[in-house]
Amino acid sequence: MSSVADSHAHGHAGHGDHHGGYGGIMRWITTTNHKDIGTLYLWFSFIMFMVGGVMALAIRLELFSPGIQYFNPDLFNQFTTMHGLIMVFGAIMPAFVGFANWQIPMMIGAPDMAFARLNNWSFWLLPFAGLLLIISFFTPGGAPGVGWTLYAPLTVQMGVGMDLTIFAVHLLGMSSILGSINIITTILNLRAPGMTLMRMPLFVWTWLITAYLLVAAMPVLAGAVTMTLTDRHFGTTFFNAAGGGDPVLYQHIFWFFGHPEVYIIALPAFGVVSQVIPAFSRKPLFGYASMVYATSAIAILSFIVWAHHMYTVGMPVTGQLFFMYATTLIAVPTGVKVFNWVATMWKGSLTFETPMLFAIGFLFLFTMGGFTGLVLSLVPIDIQLHDTYYVVAHFHYVMVAGALFSAFAGVYFWLPKWTGRMYDETLGKWHFWLTMIFFNMIFFVQHFLGLAGMPRRIPDYPLMFETWNKISSIGAFGFGLTQLFFLYIVLKAIRSGEKAPERPWEGADSLEWTHLPTPVPYHTFEVQPNLK
Amino acid sequence: MSNNLKTALVLASIALTTFVGIIAKYWILNG
Repeated sequence: MSSVADSHAHGHAGHGDHHGGYGGIMRWITTTNHKDIGTLYLWFSFIMFMVGGVMALAIRLELFSPGIQYFNPDLFNQFTTMHGLIMVFGAIMPAFVGFANWQIPMMIGAPDMAFARLNNWSFWLLPFAGLLLIISFFTPGGAPGVGWTLYAPLTVQMGVGMDLTIFAVHLLGMSSILGSINIITTILNLRAPGMTLMRMPLFVWTWLITAYLLVAAMPVLAGAVTMTLTDRHFGTTFFNAAGGGDPVLYQHIFWFFGHPEVYIIALPAFGVVSQVIPAFSRKPLFGYASMVYATSAIAILSFIVWAHHMYTVGMPVTGQLFFMYATTLIAVPTGVKVFNWVATMWKGSLTFETPMLFAIGFLFLFTMGGFTGLVLSLVPIDIQLHDTYYVVAHFHYVMVAGALFSAFAGVYFWLPKWTGRMYDETLGKWHFWLTMIFFNMIFFVQHFLGLAGMPRRIPDYPLMFETWNKISSIGAFGFGLTQLFFLYIVLKAIRSGEKAPERPWEGADSLEWTHLPTPVPYHTFEVQPNLK
Repeated sequence: MSNNLKTALVLASIALTTFVGIIAKYWILNG
């Protein structure tokens, strides 16, 4: 299939803006162009972000006051489950695959992805998976209310919605694995002459390592949900104690996937930030080689820390100690990265356009999320805080302030290159500051709730938790509205934004800025640049 | 066989082996 990319590019030589044989909707269904597919991924992820966001707002609406207000506890559990699944698999992961599709070929001087048709298929699996997750709400018994981790033995007791969810996870996993194979093959085989591995932009490096993580981790999740499916319908007892199985086994298998998954989300976010900070510091990235090695170290360590998610299941003390030390060890390469980003800014010629604001917001808040992660890595503390709102606050600092802030930074950074139009800088800054304030309003106070003992995944709570919950819920609605404002900023830029200059960010120096016009034509690098 | 196809087949076989292996392992352990 590699010939597809090649012949496609040669066939349109000299017709840089030609969109291929179809127009309208068929263009998007049949497209094999990496830029089109990147756009599809990004819009899909935004739609799912809105769907998952509505569920988050339903959760926060219910938690605005103590007592059962709007939703019965079962539906509440369904919202928390689907919010997690949709945000992780439908919103954050596809967003960064969208960036990968747009940017990797342009950054390494390739004409397209290695397997252009496979790329199309990888994307078009996603809407069906998303639909299955949403449809599960309308099945008898509703969507599964087991939490996004899909823990046994609850999963065995759920209705048909659970089967739809399992099938959706299979599709999402298949899409991720195919996409990763494509990304690895593209990076290893299609780099321009002279683009050695250690000259690649850090975004490409982080995606190369992420794709390896996906190839290794996603089949483990697929195995876990397949075993759940056979336990439900085919008489096996992998996770059923009555038949000789073990529900805790599910947790081990799930988190063997689940912890690398955290870095599958975080590493591409690191990559985006590693492009943005040097551009707005007007300095090369500090410690490039150490960034590559730190990213690799994080990826390797991510496979030996899984049981820190399950200290309370009753594992031996030696096991707890091993996983505690291994987890704290991850702080070392992560600290190297944070140090390098700060050192890149040190004595730089800094300006604070919207992408840089989001990158610095990421740096500040992700570091806080990292520190609360360190707190939770310690067994004696985690046993107290396990399944409390402290954990909810921690992972939202990593997932939202980490991944989402970085995605916003990436959109503002590359939008001029993609569309040839500038966004409104004033509105962009408003978006950043409102997002920053409302994010902390939602999640900073949840640390207090967790420390005071409020458990997660409950629709009701004692009166003493009311004040912080009210603040958190008000913040959530503000945060949701602010993201509609982001949609307005992007649409305004696309429709009527000022024409972008050739090099809107003079500090940006990867190939898409130095070797391609703005906006980029439909086909790029039909002849690979020689970088030797 | 092109380099791209070789790379893809190696990666796909790793993914498939992991998927089948993890189920097979616990299938055998469960007896």
